[in-house]
Amino acid sequence: MTTGSYEGVYIVGCGQTAYEKKTQKTSPRLIWEATDLALKSAGLAWKEVDGLSVTCFTLAPESVTTIAEHFRLECRFLVAGMYGGASGISAMLQGGRAIQNGDADVVVVVAADAFDVSSHMSMSRNPGQHDYMGPWGYGAANGIFAMHTRLYMETFGVKREDFGRLAIAQRRNASLNPNALLKEPLSMEQYLNARVIADPLHLYDCVLPCCGADAVVLTSEKTASRLKVPKVRLLGGGEVHNYPANEIYALSAGWETFRDRMYAQAGYGPRDMDFVQLYDDYPVMEFIQLEGMGFAERGKAAQLVRNNDCTVRGNLPINTGGGQLSAGQAGASGGMIGVYEAVLQLRGEAGARQVKCERGVVSGYGAVSYGRGPSASACVLARV
Amino acid sequence: MSDKPLPRVNAINRPFWEGCNRDELVLQQCGAEDCCRHIYYPRVCCPYCQGGDLSWKKVSGRGQIITYTIIHRPQHPSFFPEAPYYVIAVELEEGPLMYSRLTNKPDASENLTGRKVKVVFDNHAPTQKLPFFELA
Repeated sequence: MTTGSYEGVYIVGCGQTAYEKKTQKTSPRLIWEATDLALKSAGLAWKEVDGLSVTCFTLAPESVTTIAEHFRLECRFLVAGMYGGASGISAMLQGGRAIQNGDADVVVVVAADAFDVSSHMSMSRNPGQHDYMGPWGYGAANGIFAMHTRLYMETFGVKREDFGRLAIAQRRNASLNPNALLKEPLSMEQYLNARVIADPLHLYDCVLPCCGADAVVLTSEKTASRLKVPKVRLLGGGEVHNYPANEIYALSAGWETFRDRMYAQAGYGPRDMDFVQLYDDYPVMEFIQLEGMGFAERGKAAQLVRNNDCTVRGNLPINTGGGQLSAGQAGASGGMIGVYEAVLQLRGEAGARQVKCERGVVSGYGAVSYGRGPSASACVLARV
Repeated sequence: MSDKPLPRVNAINRPFWEGCNRDELVLQQCGAEDCCRHIYYPRVCCPYCQGGDLSWKKVSGRGQIITYTIIHRPQHPSFFPEAPYYVIAVELEEGPLMYSRLTNKPDASENLTGRKVKVVFDNHAPTQKLPFFELA
């Protein structure tokens, strides 16, 4: 067994609710829907669930504990996702360890939110944002990542067109995803001339906040072996928080600190991946993830995107369902949309957007506070 | 127009916010002999050496712009009448990074990265002034 291997951990189900601009549904109902869909796709019953992780910005006054009580689940493993868009993968890694050690057998990892533009703009209560950025009118996440985007552009000589290529490729992927909120084609002219939100970010650099939920089900080899459904293996993964500790503008969140170990666990490297699902809150963070996870050298992601076709018909499919930029960002579920999409692809259930694939990599990022998101995560998944 | 968002003043950060109301930029400084670094935002311990001996010191108010954005869509309606405006990341002469606003409104085509700035205090709300910066 490779050091830190996730041998014996299987992902046997995935579920995604409808993504909607508005909903009457509460977050707990969205959590239930995605979980129900994921369990049905696994062929597992609710009563078999003994582990649960929930990430949801709009969950209060509920918590993962009261959700377990609400659903009447007897759990041996509960995780409250506290790392925003890095939480989903982090919970899968923790859930995988619990399964390997026999502490739990069927672990549901779910994220959800009922979000709109005003919740996107007003949600952050952490001191870094609320007390030391908010009073100055910082523009919320858009303002924070506009500053990273400008610095990245100036440091590496990148143009808005470079980010636009990725946004446009993702929109083409979204056009094949019935659940994507933005399906109409996006031209470079439309991308470049869209209204300014926080210069240099324009409208199509920013996610569309929405309502929805995504879930996956992890289980042991023993339980997986009796299920007659397509199975996915968790091959490797990693996470890092607050890296580097004293530098907001390192233009990195630390994927490079664990990628070698993750790929060693997996037995595959970046060139072996058939798709990449990135945390696309903003294109600049996708560039930084591509570099951190070894798909491009530092500062060279623009060339990678320029020289490759990132659509589902291309040689380097990125965010095959359209990602948060085109499918929508259902709050904290932005950290699970890539996981759901990866599992769906590896199960061969992605319909018109199906990529021929054996394995792929998914990354997460989040918990934005003073000037940046401190949490980064990633995992490698493969079909069985 | 709705009220401006206010910071939550507490035992950790009160000297900073009270300093602003006196038109003084006051930061924490680590008391460990081999550290002595200035700290922002206010904390319970030094983020460089994790020591707990912190005191408050008036600083120069000078710094330079590391990066910035021009906000066209503010996060709160109270800022709508002011948009577009510059939000800046300032590296203070004493070291820490401070997010603030530029009082000037230069042309959007002008690159401000690396420009020197100097603190000025803005009447943000009836009860709280904020450090803003002007181009030096």
